[in-house]
Amino acid sequence: MGLPALEYALPVFTDPLVIGLVILGTIAGVVVGALPGLSSSMAIALLLPFSLYLDPVPAIALLAALYCAGTFGGSITAILINAPGAPPAAATAFDGYPMAVKGEAGRALGISAIASSLGGIFSVVVLLFAAPFLARVAYSFGPPEYFALAVFGLSMLASISGEAPIKNLIGGCIGLLIATIGVDLTTGVERFTFSVPELYEGIHFIPVLIGLFAVTELLTQAQNLGQKRHSIRVSAVKLPSLADFRRIRSTILRSSGIGTFIGILPAEGGTMAAMIGYNEAKRWSDEPEKFGKGAIEGVAGPEAANNAATGGAMVPTLALGIPGSATAAVILGGLQVQGLRPGPYLFDEQPALLYGIFFAMLLSNALFLVVGLAGAKLFSRISLVPTTLLWPTVFALCFVGAYGLEQSLVDVWIMMIAGLAGYVLKRYGFSPAPIIMGLVLGSLVETSLAQSMIIFDQQWTGFLARPIALVFFALAAISILSGSIRALLGRVLSRSGGTA
Amino acid sequence: MRHSDVSVGIVLLALCALIYWLTTGFTEVPAMLSQNVPPTFFPRLVVTIVAALSVVLIVVGLRKERVPAPAVSPAVFVTAGIVIAAGLLVEWVGTLPTLSLIAVALPLAWGERRLPRIGLLAVGLPSAIYVIFSVALGIRFPAGQLFNWLT
Repeated sequence: MGLPALEYALPVFTDPLVIGLVILGTIAGVVVGALPGLSSSMAIALLLPFSLYLDPVPAIALLAALYCAGTFGGSITAILINAPGAPPAAATAFDGYPMAVKGEAGRALGISAIASSLGGIFSVVVLLFAAPFLARVAYSFGPPEYFALAVFGLSMLASISGEAPIKNLIGGCIGLLIATIGVDLTTGVERFTFSVPELYEGIHFIPVLIGLFAVTELLTQAQNLGQKRHSIRVSAVKLPSLADFRRIRSTILRSSGIGTFIGILPAEGGTMAAMIGYNEAKRWSDEPEKFGKGAIEGVAGPEAANNAATGGAMVPTLALGIPGSATAAVILGGLQVQGLRPGPYLFDEQPALLYGIFFAMLLSNALFLVVGLAGAKLFSRISLVPTTLLWPTVFALCFVGAYGLEQSLVDVWIMMIAGLAGYVLKRYGFSPAPIIMGLVLGSLVETSLAQSMIIFDQQWTGFLARPIALVFFALAAISILSGSIRALLGRVLSRSGGTA
Repeated sequence: MRHSDVSVGIVLLALCALIYWLTTGFTEVPAMLSQNVPPTFFPRLVVTIVAALSVVLIVVGLRKERVPAPAVSPAVFVTAGIVIAAGLLVEWVGTLPTLSLIAVALPLAWGERRLPRIGLLAVGLPSAIYVIFSVALGIRFPAGQLFNWLT
């Protein structure tokens, strides 16, 4: 960090409002993460309308802190009640819960806290150097390259869930279609407005985000009302002993690298990072047979990876305007709501912002170690808050959040319709995350495609003369076809194995 | 055969046809104004991609085994009803009384029977929202037609 950087960084690092909001975001994030059904994406979506009351740096610092702490918070319920507070913590339950059953809940929580913290800090350091570097590379990008990059980002949706790649791609396209509602900026023509004046400016993505994340989850919770949750008692969280730390240090380092790399890939978030982190921890272990029965590497691996994915996901979000995960898509929306233009020029226009985010994420990753260690006993109780009282509160916040944006009841209806539609779609295997990615990227995709077509004089072949765009298209094709290629290879290998 | 994917694909194809038809109603603009990229271009391109993916979904679905989905719990319908009722009620009785009613109806619908807790939520939730969002952040919630008539 040179002197000009310090000039922007110091005021951010010493701003009491930013520090206070990061502390608040961290505590709120751990609490939200610890509540089953509530995720950091949902919490950030609910907070977005109110973050408008803050300046961009403190607002994004608050959201970034919530993102980091929420990812860690999910591990508390994964370990204590075998129900991950959020999908990225699912792999943590494989060994965390067996440890808790054996009376080692405090040890598992301590390992989770230290691995999450170190993984998160590792990725934030990468973010600080990689985001400006990537932004410099992207300076030379024109509309065709941006279009190709956005297509690559959307194509990655095919691989975020192995079970439903086609549905994820359709979900992304649904998001793109929703983004076309309103008056076309180039021609002034109304599209899909049905003469409703409130739709002329398009559908604001915040009510849709709140609906898809929170109202859909409210209905999902209604479906699962009969489920009983029992928390394993935890007396105190223990930091890993020196022997434990020696055992997990290489796992943490490996998973931090994996998580950061996965996070940087557009659309890939903490869930995939955690699964790969867990599998790699098992593959490299001297005692893989202990996994699933309470191996400490089985807690450290996914936790370091999913928290490392948070910093990684912010790299393409800030440098290219292409979200690295569903939660990063919501933060990207937060930047857009603040009137900022995510992408390479962000660092020239808002130099303090990068340091604000860097500082918020670094402080949050260090803070939740303290908060998690000191408050785990309390958080284990929070995880048992009755759903019958929690969810009316969440719905009330959805209502107020959707209304508060423009103080319009139309937004409340949009939120409710999005939530009901989200539940129906979820029931048929569609995840809300791809729709949100499509919605957030919609404007970029359409504008860059339209500009490209004007540049190329309506000739699609014009893309052939743009090597960077071709690379992104090739990556997109690989991403979409990777599942089929893997299945084909598997079939060929099993046949050759069978005949051998 | 995986019935749900096939039916989802068919519904999506029908929706694509509907959306494509809706684009035919867009106002036509001179090519010079649209720079040869008419407002129908992008929606139609996306709809075509969705249609193609829907066909793939149907074809893949036909080859898969049928996976029976669990029945939708009655609580989901009741909850959805409360959500919609809240949207309708707010224009008549106002935001804060609506939130108070949600705080009573939703826990009761979900099987909560500890009335003091429900009562506390029904009073505490709208009060907290009023203090935080109305007093502190200055958000003006709609008072509702009923309030307007009474005053």
